Amino acid sequence: MSKSKMSNWSLGLAAAAVALTLSANAFAFDAAALKSAPKVQGVGMNITDAAIKPWNISYFYDGTNLPDGKGTVSAGEKIYQEQCAMCHGDFGEGAHGYPKMVGDPVDQFEASAKAGVDAVSNRGLNNNWGNAPTLMDMIHRHMPFYAPGTLTTDEAYSVTCYVMNLASIPGVGDDFVCDKTSLPKIKMPGEPLYVTNSGPDTANQRCMKDCYKGTPFVVEKAASIGNVSVGKVKAKDTQ
Amino acid sequence: MSENMINTVPEGTKKTGEASSDRRKFLRKSVALAAGGAAIAATSAANAGDGLKTWTTPLKNEPTRHMLGRGVVSVPYGLPSKYESGVVRRNVGWLTADTIASISFTPWQDLHGIITPNGLHFERYHAGAVDVDPSKHHLVVHGMVKQPMIFTVDDLKRLPSHTAIHFLECPANGAMEWRGVQMDSLQFTHGMMSCSEWTGVKLTTLMEMVGVDPKATWFYGEGTDGSALQRSVPMEGAVDQHGRPIPAEYTSHYRDAMVCYAQNGEALRPENGYPIRLFIPGFEANISTKYLRRLMFVDKPLVTYQETKHYIEVLPNGMVRQYDLVNEANSVINYPCPDFKLNGKGTYEIRGIAWSGYGKIAHVDVSVDGGKNWKQANLVEPVLNKCVTKFTLPFEWDGEEALIMSRATDETGYVQPTLKQLREVRGFNSIYHKNSIQVWKIEKTGEVKNVQIENV
Repeated sequence: MSKSKMSNWSLGLAAAAVALTLSANAFAFDAAALKSAPKVQGVGMNITDAAIKPWNISYFYDGTNLPDGKGTVSAGEKIYQEQCAMCHGDFGEGAHGYPKMVGDPVDQFEASAKAGVDAVSNRGLNNNWGNAPTLMDMIHRHMPFYAPGTLTTDEAYSVTCYVMNLASIPGVGDDFVCDKTSLPKIKMPGEPLYVTNSGPDTANQRCMKDCYKGTPFVVEKAASIGNVSVGKVKAKDTQ
Repeated sequence: MSENMINTVPEGTKKTGEASSDRRKFLRKSVALAAGGAAIAATSAANAGDGLKTWTTPLKNEPTRHMLGRGVVSVPYGLPSKYESGVVRRNVGWLTADTIASISFTPWQDLHGIITPNGLHFERYHAGAVDVDPSKHHLVVHGMVKQPMIFTVDDLKRLPSHTAIHFLECPANGAMEWRGVQMDSLQFTHGMMSCSEWTGVKLTTLMEMVGVDPKATWFYGEGTDGSALQRSVPMEGAVDQHGRPIPAEYTSHYRDAMVCYAQNGEALRPENGYPIRLFIPGFEANISTKYLRRLMFVDKPLVTYQETKHYIEVLPNGMVRQYDLVNEANSVINYPCPDFKLNGKGTYEIRGIAWSGYGKIAHVDVSVDGGKNWKQANLVEPVLNKCVTKFTLPFEWDGEEALIMSRATDETGYVQPTLKQLREVRGFNSIYHKNSIQVWKIEKTGEVKNVQIENV
């Protein structure tokens, strides 16, 4: 990364100074961390990349390591209705508590977050997913939930294609073909919202005496909270 | 201090109104009371025995006095007393769609030290607990390395070992409380955290063996269960997928990381990743991959499902925060707590647990008046790095309503925030890393409730 690129998102001189310091060490872990590591001989085996390949199944956000093969929206629809809809809903609306594929439009998701109303239960691929290759990774690795990792590469590409189509991801029309070239080019609607954490974000002080004036406003559990089943946990109630 | 307070003297002192019989009755009411009373007897202003009832019925032998007990190895792997059957992990049915991708909670209300017994360690599965045969299991270390290597579980046990006591916490601990009070139970407000002695191989030992390329800035682990869970772990120089640096606070935790095969001195439990798991002290538990089969060193994050959909925080400015990895300083009073009812006014010992993903606990302060005034609690040794620390403070309950709470400060100077402070920066959609001060309200009846103070 260039210094000028870093300063684009740095706020003010202080942040820019930090960025310059970091750029000096960028792209390298501190090899001194290994100095105290013991020197070991004769334990374990070397292994070839070819032998590792069946396990090397991670597809990076930018498409690195995506496999050969391809899938279509129409093929994906058939697989989805057979193997996915019972949990994720016929139209991607979610079912039985399993995740939605289709959430609020991204601007509505953002507005809900800003308004402090519930945003998280309306998350879907169209508002809270960063990169299409990662969706392929998740589906190929972990789905269907009851038989994880059993889809062929083409089937996984097809389901990836169909659920993006279902969620109206821009560019994924009915004729879209998903493969290792097309997936990295998809712009997921929620991607611009991601920020990276910058460390501790509260600054409480250790006050010991007369820390505030007035009365604490104490809120107890709402009378009708629904199906919270905490009653049975009071096994040790001494009454 | 009330003149009717229950007054006790140290154990072993016979000249007391608290006759052993009376004491047994007392113990039946609350196991935890006796030790607490004895501990602060020295501060009592009243005379021994004042204000206590007197037991007059002649004592009888208990049935166990006239029988033979069980022989050795009648229970080859020991179990708790049948009278402790209520001390178990529990789950909350409505939280998740099933128990396969779900979580259970450690009953901290029933634990007395810093170590979580292995059978009570919280569980978090993404595709259920599996039974991996250690004789067939392997760990591959590859990616940006001089020499990719493969290890058997026996190979790992042969390597120089590392043992340390650390907490492990799901960042969703307390998640149900962002919008308001929901769980009237310590088990459910803070039970997604456990603390164990972990033994394994330090990651740096394996890194040295394979010769990690200095240009590597991330690595990730992957499990061999159905979820094949993977999470990206930053090292020095790590930048995110947009080229933005990962804060320095997060890029050295990996140095303490290990590939663990033992937990509290015995093999890992299947629930916790048997036969081997990754463990990164201080980081949110999701990153410590269970059933570990692969470590890959790379120069960018994966941005996995876990990093784009789960384990992110929706902030009040509409942005979605990634890579919030450290469990910051947290604490809670586990006696008294909503899982118990106080048995009359008098002496109690407030006890609690504190922990921080940044290091040792420096102080814990306790308030019984809703946070207006605080008193520094006693820290019980050992006080360890990224480990649960127990604290205690004598408490004379006058029978009136009280708002009790604890506030941890860690060795970096970070002070556990109030809920108000946390909500100001994270809003209500943050889900994860809710480490705010927990308030319990003691009612006049002795009942203890989970409450929140909204304005301070």
